[in-house]
Amino acid sequence: MSRPAWEDFVTATQAAALPDSGETVRPTRGLAASLWVGALLLILTFLVAYPLLMLVFGALSDSNPVVDGFGAFRPSIAHFVEVLENENVRLAFFNALAACGGGTALAVVIGLFFSWIVVRTNTPFKGFIAGASMIPLFVPPLVAGVAWGILGSPKTGLLNTSLKWLGIDFRFDFYSMTGLIAVFGMYYAPYVYMFTASALRNMDPSLEEASEVSGASAFTTLFTVTFPLIAPAILAGTLLSFVVMLGIYGVPAALGAPANISVLTTYIFKLTAWSPPLYNTAAAVAILLMIVTAILVWAQQRVLSGRSFATVAGKAFRPRSLDLGGWRWFTFGLALVYLLIVVVLPTLALVVAAFRKFLFIKDFDALFDSRAYGLSHFNAVFDNPLTMLSIWNTLKVGVITALLGGALAFAIGYTVNRTHVRGRRAIDLLSTIPVAIPGLVVGVAYLWAWIGLPGGLYGTIWILALAFIARFMPDTVKALSTSFLQIHKELEEAAWICGRGVVSTIATVVLPLARPGVVASMTLLFVLAIRELGSSLFLYTSDTTVMAVLLLDYYEGGNTGKTAAFSLVQTLILAVLLGLTNWLSRGAAQGGSRVG
Amino acid sequence: MTAALLIEDLVKAFGTGRPAVDGVSFDVPAGEIVVLLGPSGCGKTTTLRCVAGLEHPTGGRISIAGRAVSEPERGLLVSPRERDIGMVFQSYAVWPHMTVRQNVAYPLRHRRKASGDIDAKVKETLALVGLADFAERPATSLSGGQMQRVALARSLVYHPQLLLLDEPLSNLDAKLRIHLRDELRRILKQTGMTGLYVTHDQTEAVVLGDRIGVMRGGKLLQMAAPGEIYNRPADAFVANFTGASNVLRGTVLGRSGEIAMIDLGAAGRIEAWTPQLLAAGDSARVALRAENVRLGERGERNAFSGRVLERRYQGMQTVYDLDLGGQRLEALELGTAARHHADGEIALTLPPETCWAYRDEEHAAA
Repeated sequence: MSRPAWEDFVTATQAAALPDSGETVRPTRGLAASLWVGALLLILTFLVAYPLLMLVFGALSDSNPVVDGFGAFRPSIAHFVEVLENENVRLAFFNALAACGGGTALAVVIGLFFSWIVVRTNTPFKGFIAGASMIPLFVPPLVAGVAWGILGSPKTGLLNTSLKWLGIDFRFDFYSMTGLIAVFGMYYAPYVYMFTASALRNMDPSLEEASEVSGASAFTTLFTVTFPLIAPAILAGTLLSFVVMLGIYGVPAALGAPANISVLTTYIFKLTAWSPPLYNTAAAVAILLMIVTAILVWAQQRVLSGRSFATVAGKAFRPRSLDLGGWRWFTFGLALVYLLIVVVLPTLALVVAAFRKFLFIKDFDALFDSRAYGLSHFNAVFDNPLTMLSIWNTLKVGVITALLGGALAFAIGYTVNRTHVRGRRAIDLLSTIPVAIPGLVVGVAYLWAWIGLPGGLYGTIWILALAFIARFMPDTVKALSTSFLQIHKELEEAAWICGRGVVSTIATVVLPLARPGVVASMTLLFVLAIRELGSSLFLYTSDTTVMAVLLLDYYEGGNTGKTAAFSLVQTLILAVLLGLTNWLSRGAAQGGSRVG
Repeated sequence: MTAALLIEDLVKAFGTGRPAVDGVSFDVPAGEIVVLLGPSGCGKTTTLRCVAGLEHPTGGRISIAGRAVSEPERGLLVSPRERDIGMVFQSYAVWPHMTVRQNVAYPLRHRRKASGDIDAKVKETLALVGLADFAERPATSLSGGQMQRVALARSLVYHPQLLLLDEPLSNLDAKLRIHLRDELRRILKQTGMTGLYVTHDQTEAVVLGDRIGVMRGGKLLQMAAPGEIYNRPADAFVANFTGASNVLRGTVLGRSGEIAMIDLGAAGRIEAWTPQLLAAGDSARVALRAENVRLGERGERNAFSGRVLERRYQGMQTVYDLDLGGQRLEALELGTAARHHADGEIALTLPPETCWAYRDEEHAAA
């Protein structure tokens, strides 16, 4: 296909035709530009580079930053090697690989199957299936873990109570590696789905028709033409879901801990929770987790930037839909079963556990005894002063993260995409690094970076907000860059010709046009921030606790009723905020399109 | 001998509204190439896809080599892979994850009748389309023209009963299109393949087709040899679509056999060939090609006097805009020298066999 070559040619000629406007047209702005770049680099160093460096130093030393200060710093690779040779670390590492590997395999099967059903068959209510199968993306991992603990704990699990009542001898045990894999696979299938569905949608249908005309059956065509063609998308989705699972704390904390299964994330937290805390070891394990993540993210980017051959230049296709006949009710049924397992059952479990005074259910009939239900758990949750504090803190952190992070991402996105200033590559690189750092590692790095400094950020909600800003920087900048690319460069140039300066042009032309993108990015940041657990774990204090952390507290306190009640409260708050921000950003998008 | 392809009263309706294919019937004898020609949306591609089995017809019957493959009235529908057909797609549809050899060998591997020497057949077919040296290349490294050759080889390698070609040249650039067009005919004739070819390009249709079927609005207007389509178009649309862009309006004075006499008003009377049963008093349109206007000649029949409004020199030819008794007429003079004046009176002859009269449907309806 000649398209890539053609594109290269166009970009090359454009690059040749357009002079380097930032430097040649307005040389007098050199100083201002340097100051600007310097300021951005300083902020990014403060947010990203410094904590990471401290993390590396921590991993290479055996001194305690709190007690010893920086003076006692004695770098040595030996410490790092020693940690890697530790049997527990190795166990956590292989557990993580097994849980995420198995979970990814399941996620690929589910995601691929659903994308095929939705894009390529005449299964009824496809739109509903497509929308509903994305719900798992919005469920906080810890809530999912808690719900499945209530459903599938070997003794008191609601599923097992039902099985017992039905007289079936089989018992589920979700406090196991299998349980971990099952929950990972079910909840992270949408990541695979997103990639494969769009690849299937963009595929030239005649590639499959050619196979059918050639004499291949529909089944043969699926495995010799369709799947090989979308292989890059499948691989990209696989790698992404693996990386996401690797960085998840909530699910293994809820399901792995009761069975003494440690993965890297839970092991790192365990190290810092020991007395005395093993911060150096935690830093070393965090680095290990970061390296694995970075390799996988790099591989995923390689796959995505490789020429995907499933699509053909600039042509819109009507995706072929296969007539399944009576089987389409079978595929519809499978979709319903998936939704039942992933959405309905866990929600029911949380509701039952939250409203029941005692979770012990001696038989199935007892489940419907109304006297056993009440609001006692909710009362207990709201009697705890920490509950309201955590909600309030979460909102504060969310708003700070969204506003500061959005503004910073706008500055970075504009500088990288729209100017030719020197140093913009360094800005781009620094702001992209966090993509390869799991949230938990960001938390450990910030802990290292600030705990030793007196009167610093540690212990305020600002350290949480800054950690979130750093952690989600790549996502935000990427979301914003897309909206910059849609604003034609000439719109800006026209404003310059009219005599406006750079700042004035941004204020009067770029910002109004990019408003939907800016609002959408801030919304995204807000939502990501209020549900983040991994990085909060290391940075909260009793005054700055947030919802996700408090939920973990309840869970580890062992009171299932309170945990379930707070899970529901948290889910409800998330749903309301999600709806609200979605409504707000849609309004902004419409306002923006009127401007455009 | 049975026709390789027989289509009887084919209907394909998508939902409600006018059917995309509306009662089309024709046959393709073995070894012949039939081209379906028409503007986009005329139903030609839908007809082809019905023959392939990629669309499911809602009425009529399709038979390939004497075997009915689609007859919705009887609930009969044979799947594409059991129709023994080959197909070349507009987008080439060459599988990018395979090499040239793998692409061409694919049908042999996945056919019911296992064929003996796959390698030899692939080699022979690649040589036929001129890609003998490209067998091991990955498909993505090929140019558009080479990819279309791979697609052709892939559809020929198993000697199907019928080859379907869906605008195979329209994604190529102009020069390559002409080259591949001539070569396509050579290859098809060399292999003795029966072909059904769909295009919107009239030159392609004339060069490739043994017969051409012109379609519009889901209906087959005329199916005939290229010479007849060009010289005896069955109706005003066919005439216009094949290039007779001049239209003179008038009233029928009388008709004898296939020759009608028409009053053009101020310009005078014109004699024209007609395939329709025109009667005196009917409104008529006379269609003729700009190339067929003889400038500066005063012939025995259909001699007129016109006025040159504008002369446009185009290098290889010159176009004259003429006024003929208040009606516009375009004339084309071949050659690099323009021989007539840019303005003033001019004698011209419109040979009766190149003037075709049709009932003026618009006018009659008004």
